[in-house]
Amino acid sequence: MNELRIEEELKEYKKLGRGNWGEGFGLLKGMYNGFITRIRDEAAEMEEEQDEIMPPMKMLLNLLLDLRNARREGRKICMHPFNYGPELLYTMGLVPLMQELFSVGLATTHINEFYLDITNKIGYGDNPTLCNAQRPLIGAYMQKAAPVPDLLFFLSTPCNSLSITYQVFQHITNVPLFNIDIPYWAHEHSSEFYDERIMDYMLSQLKNFIPWLEKQTNRKFEIEKFQETMNLVNQSREYVSDFNELLKTVPCPVPSIAGFGNWLAMTLRGGTSEAVKVTKYIRDQAAERVKEGLGGVEDEKLRIAWPYTHVFFDQELFKWLEEEFQAVTIMDILGFYPVGPHDTSTLEKCYESLALGTLDYSMIGTCRGPVEYFVDFLINWINEYKIDCVIIPMQFACKHAYAMTTLASEIARQETGVPTLVFGCDPYDSREVPSETIRAKISEFLNQIVL
Amino acid sequence: MTVLDDFTKGDSLLNPWMDEWKKQGKKILGYFCTYIPEEIIHAADILPVRIRAKGCTDTPMGDAYLSPTTCSFTRCCLEMANRKQFDFLDGIISCNSCDQIRRLYDNIRYKTPFSNQYFLSVPSNVNDITIDFFKYELNKFKNYLEKTFNVDITEEKLKNSIELHNKSRTLLKELYLLRKKKNPPITGTDIMNILLSGVSMPKNQFNELLTTQLKEIEGKEGISDDKSRIMLVGSMLDDPEYVKIIEDLGGLIVNDAVCIGTKYFWEIVDENLDPLDALANRYLSRVSCPRMAGEQSKRVDFVLNLIKEFNVDGVIFQRMKFCPFWWAEIFVLRDELKKQGVPFLDLEREYVLSGAGAMKTRVQGFMEVLEGK
Repeated sequence: MNELRIEEELKEYKKLGRGNWGEGFGLLKGMYNGFITRIRDEAAEMEEEQDEIMPPMKMLLNLLLDLRNARREGRKICMHPFNYGPELLYTMGLVPLMQELFSVGLATTHINEFYLDITNKIGYGDNPTLCNAQRPLIGAYMQKAAPVPDLLFFLSTPCNSLSITYQVFQHITNVPLFNIDIPYWAHEHSSEFYDERIMDYMLSQLKNFIPWLEKQTNRKFEIEKFQETMNLVNQSREYVSDFNELLKTVPCPVPSIAGFGNWLAMTLRGGTSEAVKVTKYIRDQAAERVKEGLGGVEDEKLRIAWPYTHVFFDQELFKWLEEEFQAVTIMDILGFYPVGPHDTSTLEKCYESLALGTLDYSMIGTCRGPVEYFVDFLINWINEYKIDCVIIPMQFACKHAYAMTTLASEIARQETGVPTLVFGCDPYDSREVPSETIRAKISEFLNQIVL
Repeated sequence: MTVLDDFTKGDSLLNPWMDEWKKQGKKILGYFCTYIPEEIIHAADILPVRIRAKGCTDTPMGDAYLSPTTCSFTRCCLEMANRKQFDFLDGIISCNSCDQIRRLYDNIRYKTPFSNQYFLSVPSNVNDITIDFFKYELNKFKNYLEKTFNVDITEEKLKNSIELHNKSRTLLKELYLLRKKKNPPITGTDIMNILLSGVSMPKNQFNELLTTQLKEIEGKEGISDDKSRIMLVGSMLDDPEYVKIIEDLGGLIVNDAVCIGTKYFWEIVDENLDPLDALANRYLSRVSCPRMAGEQSKRVDFVLNLIKEFNVDGVIFQRMKFCPFWWAEIFVLRDELKKQGVPFLDLEREYVLSGAGAMKTRVQGFMEVLEGK
């Protein structure tokens, strides 16, 4: 095989990642090296050779290096959940660590299952009770395979399982913790659930977070830095909004769940120039293909909405759907980042943008209130994106989502005629419901009901 | 007939006090959680009644709509609502106690709606901002009741209601404190019947009965057959039979940290503040349920203090299956109890008492451990 054009760059990253990453960083180092191998393998399979590592993958490598370097250099690491944009953390010079790196990030290799077993052994919950998106962290920490962050931050939504696991983690690590209450009512005037106090409530809580961060970081909140960060995050939102519009094109210009990179960018690097670069890259790729009339799936026959998370342990599932059914999965609940760009011309508008971003974030906007938030989202999606069917692989432990999907599917079907498949599984543990069973359920649904 | 016999009526879904109330042409509102202030409902001359699913036997609708991995209390409630078992209620009040209760409310709204239904957004942590927001929510709730039931909830009515409820709390605490005695004069089973009556009958009548009850047991010789002193900790429990199983096996419940228990009445509302301020403060700052973030260490201290004050020999955790909050809470508490050398037993259960045989075996084993200490 000829040497790839990106080989030099990969070698440089390989070199940067050498050495001992320090206590608790073993899994992150493993992830880093795994990404390098994956980038190389994928580049070798591509028809057109790349000149440089694709921005989303480069972002992941940089993030992992940044975490390692932060610990070496004494910069503070703040752990946060998968449904929060870290712009305020970046403003305060913190290095964000999304907790679900230890579940989402490790599920593809099934390594998280080892840590789930340890979590079981020490008696912290079981799968139908507490979500496996958070539980591996406890096992990984016990094995000294996960770093102890300097700070912990979480929101009360999307679920109780997330909220309580952060508190348990705080109990065993004694790391300072801050949390924000996400209200039930809507901030949009047009909503039947609108409440005039919601924006003020969120603004007050976010502004209250700042002095806590100042105290923990021993650093003053810099207004200019904050405005700069909010400008960057809104540039990214602009690109993501464009991309979301492009997804409406028939055929869909990109392969299944291409938007997942947007969620990664906004959740891991939101508010940085790197996130701007990644979201622009994803938008440009889609725009180029629309211009050329290309589809992400050859001869697209089915357009699927997937308003829940991926089955993370089965990375080939969407490819299988494309090959077997010429079906493109246009969206998933995380990958469809729903926050549009806001005006950031004044400091107060920057705060408002921060509050709106927090309230509307992927899985926060749809899950924080009455079932209608999710139903409206789903029905709009079905109509605007010309969806043929909906697939929801419900995580057994996801109480609030599981307890609304049957109702939501019923309403959506009555209003649009589009069928939904809901089935229980554990996206983080292949031993609960294996890939074969999941594929059999989907096949049956598509063959007998949709096609 | 003793007062205690009277209190056993509180266990039924629709009791004679509620019947009597309805006969007077008055309304009853069912509520789901101790974070919903009864005082505001009472001030509207409406009887607040804690929603229970007593008598539920199976949950096909709950399984289908809420999923089989949702807690059996919520599944039972949906089932009971669908089978018109809650038709004696003139409406329901829910809140975001937990994800499961929140979605139960959605499913009720669509599948088996009530003519009046209301949702209260209760903050998940305690600080000045959230207390202020909760006061606003309570004011909205007050306005809703006024408009819907065509009543006027004046400041005076609210103050009177707070006073009445505080009286009830004080009497309950007085009763609980009697259990500190070496030979407590009342069993945990009787206490549960009293509490169930307390959440399902007019408060003035409850206070009268409870005052009589206190006089009856004042100076009464206590239970002295060398039973182990047990504290009950965990999720929503409203089944006197469950408590009786433990007590029949030699454990005497002397205190608790459960929803229809100390968490319902331990702290009073400040009568010197503006009523809504006082209610917002008390309801958010009281001994919390695990839904409240950042309060874990206070809850642990509360349990440890009661263990010490009531000379508890062992703790029984009763944990509703599929409840994330209580699994996590018990995980932390177990850790603390181990450090303190307090024996404990962790029992998972369904809302409807099932598997009593297995439970008895485990409780019996635990009692033997305690006796051996």
